[in-house]
Amino acid sequence: MIMQTVLVVDDEFGIGEVLEAILTDDGYRVVTAINGNHALERLAGNRVDLILSDLMMPVMDGAALFAALQADKRYQRIPFVLMCSLPEPNIQNRIKGYTAFLHKPFKVDDVLDIVRKVLGPPPG
Amino acid sequence: MSQSKADGTPLLSRMPTGIAGLDVILNGGFLRGGIYIIQGPPGAGKTILGNQVCYDHVAAGGRALYVTLLAENHDRMLMHMGEMQFFHREEITRSLEYISAFRILEEEGLKGLLTLIRREIQGRKISVLVLDGLVAAEHSAPSELEFKKFIHGLQTQAVVTDCTMFLLTSAGEAAISPEHTMVDGLIELSDEQYGWRSVRDLHVRKFRGSAYLRGRHAFRITQNGIEVFPRTESLLSEPSRDPGGQTRQITTGSASLDKMAGGGLTAGSTTLVVGPTGSGKTALGLQFLSAASEAEPGLHFGFFESNARVLTKSDSLGLGLRKLVKDGHVELMWQPPTEDLIDALSETLLDTVRRRKVKRVVIDGLSAFQRLTTSQDRIAPFFTALVNELRGMGVTTFATLEVPDLIGPISRAPVSELSTITENLILLRYVELHSRLFRLISVLKMRDNEFDPMLREFLLGKNGLDVGDSFNNVEALLSGFGRGVDAPAAGDDGVLTDTSR
Repeated sequence: MIMQTVLVVDDEFGIGEVLEAILTDDGYRVVTAINGNHALERLAGNRVDLILSDLMMPVMDGAALFAALQADKRYQRIPFVLMCSLPEPNIQNRIKGYTAFLHKPFKVDDVLDIVRKVLGPPPG
Repeated sequence: MSQSKADGTPLLSRMPTGIAGLDVILNGGFLRGGIYIIQGPPGAGKTILGNQVCYDHVAAGGRALYVTLLAENHDRMLMHMGEMQFFHREEITRSLEYISAFRILEEEGLKGLLTLIRREIQGRKISVLVLDGLVAAEHSAPSELEFKKFIHGLQTQAVVTDCTMFLLTSAGEAAISPEHTMVDGLIELSDEQYGWRSVRDLHVRKFRGSAYLRGRHAFRITQNGIEVFPRTESLLSEPSRDPGGQTRQITTGSASLDKMAGGGLTAGSTTLVVGPTGSGKTALGLQFLSAASEAEPGLHFGFFESNARVLTKSDSLGLGLRKLVKDGHVELMWQPPTEDLIDALSETLLDTVRRRKVKRVVIDGLSAFQRLTTSQDRIAPFFTALVNELRGMGVTTFATLEVPDLIGPISRAPVSELSTITENLILLRYVELHSRLFRLISVLKMRDNEFDPMLREFLLGKNGLDVGDSFNNVEALLSGFGRGVDAPAAGDDGVLTDTSR
């Protein structure tokens, strides 16, 4: 059975690690990146089923990453979950069209609910 | 469902500790999903606090995990905790687990310890975690950065699992340690020596995301576990109720003293009665309480005389306090000033006033607070806060204060500033005249009333106290030794006259 892959994009130390642990325990394969540019590099070498991305990051933020993905036919169908510590109405003037929103700080169940909802339960 | 502000920002939810005083200091408890360091020297009470928080949490329906590193052996810890009221053996393995992670730390380092904690929290749905012996984790860290990364990892884990974490450590007593900057709160426990006496205190050094009562607060460890007493002047820096502007006059319990005071005492005021031992301070307080009733319940909060002695004294003065006590209109509380904490005393006093809706309070022996405090600087702000709170509750207070000199001039009040805190000030003295000691009463201050400023004889008898005549043709009474002045002797006009010459 092929494992589904989640790309986690976050610049903050610890967030990528904890998301990787949560999702790996739940049966997903996880790839991490620390900003939008880094995420695009990761996408080039991996088949990704879902992206969990922070909004505020250095080099290339989540909004710019989402715009870059939408402009690229290879990636525009990948579900994109935006993570931010601001309430969702506060960021909707910067970014629209993402698949789901995950408010930070999030709980384990919040993460798993969203990922399972988008990808379906992990195989096995 | 979590609540949120108008802009959608979620409100921080609390995890009460079950230790009432600590929850007051923390403005409702720790923040759920926060990470806190509890620090203090060996014997300060860290392990008891950690356990007590766990047991209270599981009693409220949560699940707790107590992880030890190089700390007390579990068997011995449970044996010691078994003495505590909060201990419930049936919770162990059901909703509270004790595990040792020291071997994992030794074999797999901080990364292994973090993975273990993460898996235990998620697997067991743990909502409170205590890590006892953080110093062992710190010593095993290859670098300061690695240790900070470990703390950061715990912090992230706490947030995503909504698990509140307590890290117990005896390290870093003086210096600021790197981990202090990373956690959400830091609480120091200490056990200080004051002469032969030891007093424990708790100090919240840091508490992110919430107001809290700053400074040191006393606590004690009994079979009930840890009991924390917020510093009275910090807790009641503002009275919980506005005292308002009372004008109603109430009786002192003595018609002649009411007359001297200009009609009685303003309801909600505080009267300080100063005098040497045996001068009648307690009697004056009992007279005040003799006017208590169902509508105006009274409380005698005394330090130096037992309840039995207070009642005997009341009987000898014909004050009828025994019946008032029997009828439930007056409560006597004796607090021997031995090892108590002044904030515990003020809490007991105020709780009783609230519970019984007391309107007349006698605090008999303010010097007990002075004797029990570990810092004399506290007395004035402490008493200010206490008096303001009593005023706010509409309580009229009589407080007595002993001066050391039996006879002779009073150079200053034994507790400075007290006379400025109270509205009314009454002085009781002995005065020698014609080779005989008289009791003397004088009103030095009555903030709202036109009072009688004369120095008068103060009589105690089978019908209670009575304010007698003033002393005529006598001067220097306040020196304690009256002497006659050249003036014609007065007739039978209700005035004590010097007729010695």
